[in-house]
Amino acid sequence: MAFAKGLGSTMRREIRRLGSRRVYLWAMVLIPLAVAFFFLNLMESGLPTKVPTAIIDLDNSSMSRNLTRSLGSTELIDLSYHADSYHEAMEMVRSGRIYGFFLIPRDFEAHALAGRTPTLTYYSNMTYFVPGTLAYKGFKTMAVLTSGKVVETSLTGKGFSEDLAGTILQPIVVDTHPIGNPWTNYSIYLSNSFIPGLLELMIFMVTCFSICGEIKHRTSVEWIAYAHGSVTTALIGKLLPQTVIFTVMGWGFDALLFRYSGFPCGHTWSMLLAMPLFVMASQAFAVIICSAVPNLRLAMSICCLTGILAFSVAAFSFPVESMYPSIGIFSYILPVRWYFLIYIDQALNGIDMYYSRYCFVALIVFILVACSIAWRLKKRLLNPVYVP
Amino acid sequence: MFGRIKNWTLTVARVMRRELYLSLTDVGVMLFFLFLPLVYPIIYTLIYNPEVAREIPVAVIDDCRSAQSREFVRMADATEAIHIIGYASDMAEARRWKDSKACYGIIHIPADYSRSLGRGEQANVTFYSDMSLLLRYRSMLLSMTELQLAAGAMIRTEAISSLGSLASGMGDSPVENVSFMLGDTEQGFASFVIPGIIILILQQSMLLGITMLGGTSYERRLRGGGVDPLAVRGATPVASVIGRMLCFVLIYMPLSIYVMHFVPVMFSLPHVGSPMQYLPFILPMLVATAFMGMTLEILVREREMSFMVVVFTSVVFLFLSGLTWPRYAMNWLWKGIGDLIPATWGVEGFIRINSNNATIYDNAHCYIMMWGLAVFYFFTAIWATRYIDVRARLQTGYRYLPKM
Repeated sequence: MAFAKGLGSTMRREIRRLGSRRVYLWAMVLIPLAVAFFFLNLMESGLPTKVPTAIIDLDNSSMSRNLTRSLGSTELIDLSYHADSYHEAMEMVRSGRIYGFFLIPRDFEAHALAGRTPTLTYYSNMTYFVPGTLAYKGFKTMAVLTSGKVVETSLTGKGFSEDLAGTILQPIVVDTHPIGNPWTNYSIYLSNSFIPGLLELMIFMVTCFSICGEIKHRTSVEWIAYAHGSVTTALIGKLLPQTVIFTVMGWGFDALLFRYSGFPCGHTWSMLLAMPLFVMASQAFAVIICSAVPNLRLAMSICCLTGILAFSVAAFSFPVESMYPSIGIFSYILPVRWYFLIYIDQALNGIDMYYSRYCFVALIVFILVACSIAWRLKKRLLNPVYVP
Repeated sequence: MFGRIKNWTLTVARVMRRELYLSLTDVGVMLFFLFLPLVYPIIYTLIYNPEVAREIPVAVIDDCRSAQSREFVRMADATEAIHIIGYASDMAEARRWKDSKACYGIIHIPADYSRSLGRGEQANVTFYSDMSLLLRYRSMLLSMTELQLAAGAMIRTEAISSLGSLASGMGDSPVENVSFMLGDTEQGFASFVIPGIIILILQQSMLLGITMLGGTSYERRLRGGGVDPLAVRGATPVASVIGRMLCFVLIYMPLSIYVMHFVPVMFSLPHVGSPMQYLPFILPMLVATAFMGMTLEILVREREMSFMVVVFTSVVFLFLSGLTWPRYAMNWLWKGIGDLIPATWGVEGFIRINSNNATIYDNAHCYIMMWGLAVFYFFTAIWATRYIDVRARLQTGYRYLPKM
């Protein structure tokens, strides 16, 4: 009964505190919403197609003009410029106007028809990975098609059937099936990992700020008094209202991602279940940091540094198996890594919950560890000392 | 006249010295000004330094089980990205492997594979790829494409020799095609992402430090009745803004050399630009960032609020810079917001200078935009300094305190 009373009064106090400062509204609601809108709106088209590129046509024959027209009509690239020389095109790359260029050599048509093997060259600027890769893909497809067309013409001219010519051109065809994201949509891949990553970062900061802020402003004694002297009650009473707000935000993001944007989601219920666990695990992570270093600035620093590093080390883009093992292991101390793995299994691939069992357990372990270490906070909360 | 110029210069110098003292004696600020730019580039590069995803586990379902299909699997195993972990008896088993993360791709060779080849028909091989990480998919796809061409060439040679003299000279393609990768020639992930990230670290760490100094100063103002007791007396907003900017730029000059020269050299990332290009290039970004930080101070009334205001923007600014999602594909809103961030231009220009050996002249647009932002934020910083002063006085009730 005492627990319930203490919990009730701490929670009422915390809700008053959350309402009294604008920073909470910003950090818990407005910033996450704005960033989620940012990601989804920015990458709405899925792929940044129509990469600005240039063509250098030194041949000016009917074949090279045909090739130029075909290049210009592909989906991936946009031939924005016609350069007269390699140097001119290179200058455009250096000034960022184009991300790649395609070079048709002098006497291309004559050499090709005479079988003297001319060479088509294409340059892609890989300092920008995505446009560089798309330009490469567009160029490569066109170069291979061109060479295929020449062979086909000459083979059918020699009396082979078109089927046979096709076989000689390409005896083996590999059909690729990208499972779950056949459009190679960038938003599916990035929004689904970066929005939870940002939510985790904001949870880290708000949790630290609200716990250690009490020490800074010497209100922690009052806080513990509301909880009838129990640090467990105090922490639950403080964090539970935040858990509710963040979970509702998280479900809102789920709705944005999986319903409004229509991103693949195999098992909706497991994603809904994972969200509160992920929120609590993130809060637990911050509580662990606060218990280890009960100093507002240091705890915030550690939380922010790890929260920002999480976007890289949790392997949203570069796989953990390819990292150095001594670095990759750190991805597993971050709640968002486990949430990301759950998302891949449950939403993107929609496989059985059985395969994600360890990820759910890991999220719960964060909460248990926080519970076992939180007693350390009590002494600091009863004797608040602010270290700037 | 000269006396006034001299006095003003002396005030600026005093502001600069005081700010330097405040920064150097504040552990929290030093963490941002020194630790972040020194250590973060190393941590980031260590994360991405393996550059490419190699030997990704892939399962094979071989319904053909012929010499030719085994040859194909051997060739697949020999590619850079693919490592064959074993033969699955059917699709169900292969899916079980994929679901338990034992493999990230499945190659399915149909039962009529070698028969099709023997008959001179096209043989179809199916490849299923996991899409959790695009980098993994991209590596596997490139390897599969190479494999298709290589295996095809091998089979074509055999077919042509069996067709006899009619097809002679058709063994090799009549049009060669050669591809060149510019800038990041190995297509490595660290080589692509680190040059951009290190510039963003310069900006973000400076913003964090400045806003923390601002928050601390505001706390002192609240205790000191609206006036910061440690501020230089008699400094006008213009003098104080310029003096503080000089202090921050001074601190960041050696750091910029470290970040822009030594970090790429340490990890052998692309680094072909000339120091005479990228060092002067970054100066306007530092100036603009310093003024931007002083403008953001109006949002920070408490030391630790700096985290809340600045940290989350790192992710947003990274995307606005066009490093991951290129700027040509952004709509006017995000392009416009990106235009207002110094690092957008800094990242863009530095990447080209550093990796493509461009010059400031090539990136004149970025360079001019950064100086434009420096002027813009100079005025907003003056306004912010005045605003904070008035607000602190109002908040503490010492409205009629003599002007500093």
